Amino acid sequence: MVRVVPNAGAGLAEDAPSTSGKEYLTYFAHRLLEFRRPELESLAQTVGCQDGQLQWRAPAGDVEHSPFWYLTLPSEEAAVEISKRMILTKMLIEVWAEGEDWEELKAAFEAFPEDRKSTWLRPDLTFRVVVESFGSSLPMDEQLDIIKRLEFIPFKGTVRLRDPQVRFVLLRCDCGDHGSLIDATVPPRLYFGRLVGASNRGVIDDYSLKRRRYLGPTSMDTEMSFVMCNHAGVRRGSLVLDPYAGTGSILVAAAHFGAKVMGADIDIKVIREGKVGKGGERLTIYSNFEQYGLPAPVGLIRMDAHRHPIRPDLTEILHAIIGDPPYGVRAGGRKSGLPPAEAAQRLLIRDRDTYIPSTQPYTLGECLRDLLDLSARLLVVGGRLVYFLPATPGTYDEGEIPQHPALKLMANSEQILTSRYSRRLITMEKVRLYDAATAAAYYAARPDPTMTIDRLHDIVYDHLPVPSPALTATATEAAAAAGGADCVDSATGAVKPRRRCRGKNF
Amino acid sequence: MKLLTHNMLSCHIKGVKNGYPFLIEVIKVSEHEADFDPDFLKHIFPRINWLAFLQGAEAMGCREGLPEAPTETYLEDEQFQKAFHHALLEVTLEEGSLVCPETGRKFPVAKGIPNMLLNEDEC
Repeated sequence: MVRVVPNAGAGLAEDAPSTSGKEYLTYFAHRLLEFRRPELESLAQTVGCQDGQLQWRAPAGDVEHSPFWYLTLPSEEAAVEISKRMILTKMLIEVWAEGEDWEELKAAFEAFPEDRKSTWLRPDLTFRVVVESFGSSLPMDEQLDIIKRLEFIPFKGTVRLRDPQVRFVLLRCDCGDHGSLIDATVPPRLYFGRLVGASNRGVIDDYSLKRRRYLGPTSMDTEMSFVMCNHAGVRRGSLVLDPYAGTGSILVAAAHFGAKVMGADIDIKVIREGKVGKGGERLTIYSNFEQYGLPAPVGLIRMDAHRHPIRPDLTEILHAIIGDPPYGVRAGGRKSGLPPAEAAQRLLIRDRDTYIPSTQPYTLGECLRDLLDLSARLLVVGGRLVYFLPATPGTYDEGEIPQHPALKLMANSEQILTSRYSRRLITMEKVRLYDAATAAAYYAARPDPTMTIDRLHDIVYDHLPVPSPALTATATEAAAAAGGADCVDSATGAVKPRRRCRGKNF
Repeated sequence: MKLLTHNMLSCHIKGVKNGYPFLIEVIKVSEHEADFDPDFLKHIFPRINWLAFLQGAEAMGCREGLPEAPTETYLEDEQFQKAFHHALLEVTLEEGSLVCPETGRKFPVAKGIPNMLLNEDEC
């Protein structure tokens, strides 16, 4: 497994870890903090690194969310391959020198083995120096100053800004007193090294939702779709299923990485009918794949993940299942059948060709139990399930994360949406063959799949304190004035809370 | 709906025992070129129920070149790969139905997408 060794705090050359392989500085994008290391771990596995070949070393200052961690990889080829896919890591750098100030940097540079420097400082190699700053902006004149201060480095090649053969990086970390704003008090530091790979964050703009032809209210944002595919280890030739495909944003990202994709959704309007575009043309999931010149999904099915039609003896067929399970007010979960209260007075279905089947609410706990069991069955061993779990600071309990005997939890990364809500990207890997009896016994021992989060809606919307009579009149008028007359309960005059929050609704 | 999907689905109406494979009623079939990937074919071949696949290919009009009982050694043969790839990933049922072999219940396929949702008296 991945090991983390504590940072001894000294220079790189002296305390390099004892494993074979090469250590790189990972310069992370400072966002989705908990997603960054799992993304690299998953990508390392995707490009063929074995368990035990990866090793993390804590950054200077030992700040958990520092953007500067060290990662040992088996080879430079692995680092280059990883960098082609990484989204949340800006750069992988072979560090030649680092220090708290320019004197330390210079001393460290001089201590770095001569033979390792001379390979890349040859006169026949074109080069450029990239200056990056974390924690403060760096105007052009300061960048030039910094490059001038690098005069102690015996560059011999010709400078070439476009497509040089070697890129050097000078990274400056200077958070000043903005530490609290960026959620990480990273001590000032300078790093100099050779750039081994840089992420292609340009794909995020290439696939921007702003220009996506077919979108729905819960389409997954582009960056997150790519990160989810990286956590899932999607690669060329993978067969990937999104059981809650919606408008197919996750599948578009998977197809970009060369996967064959399948989508399912319970909503026939979203998955089959689509909508009418500005020019009167019909827009569907297929339009999105056409837009980017990606191969169309190999299968789209309208089905219910709870009462699904996958043949019972089918197993070990998918390489990844990636999805954003339904929850919330805007797009709550539904499953087949009538709610138990109405089932007793069921109507006779006369014309089956035109009958619209009923659906009933689907708790998240039940939905996730179905998702995990389907994944445990349909994934190949080594295949991954990646999905979002909603959470709030008040109700989150690590012990509630759904489990399955055939699946192992690989990562649990929180994305904070508002002060009250977050969602967690859960990554699980299938570690053994599916055994129906083991799964049945596991669930028999845990009869109730309901999770605390299933009661969130009640907690947030129905159990709020009733406004005091003095305030009620004013609040009622205000609500009416705001055009929110339907927010006022006519019987009691009480103002119901508006069902709205930023980000993902619950 | 391609035969890959057809091969994965069975009738899930409560109480149905022999819901596999679905019979295919064809109204309209189309063909779309798909990326030829022999490694993918190798992955998928052992997971395919071949009898169901042949039956589906017969209905969709792409049975040609598909042997009765191929073994994994066939995957080295380019002729077989091509025929398998074509029937599995290129031929699409645009309009028609999947018919449950036991109950005769028709699941409509429209715009290439099978509607597998059950009515409430079926689940």
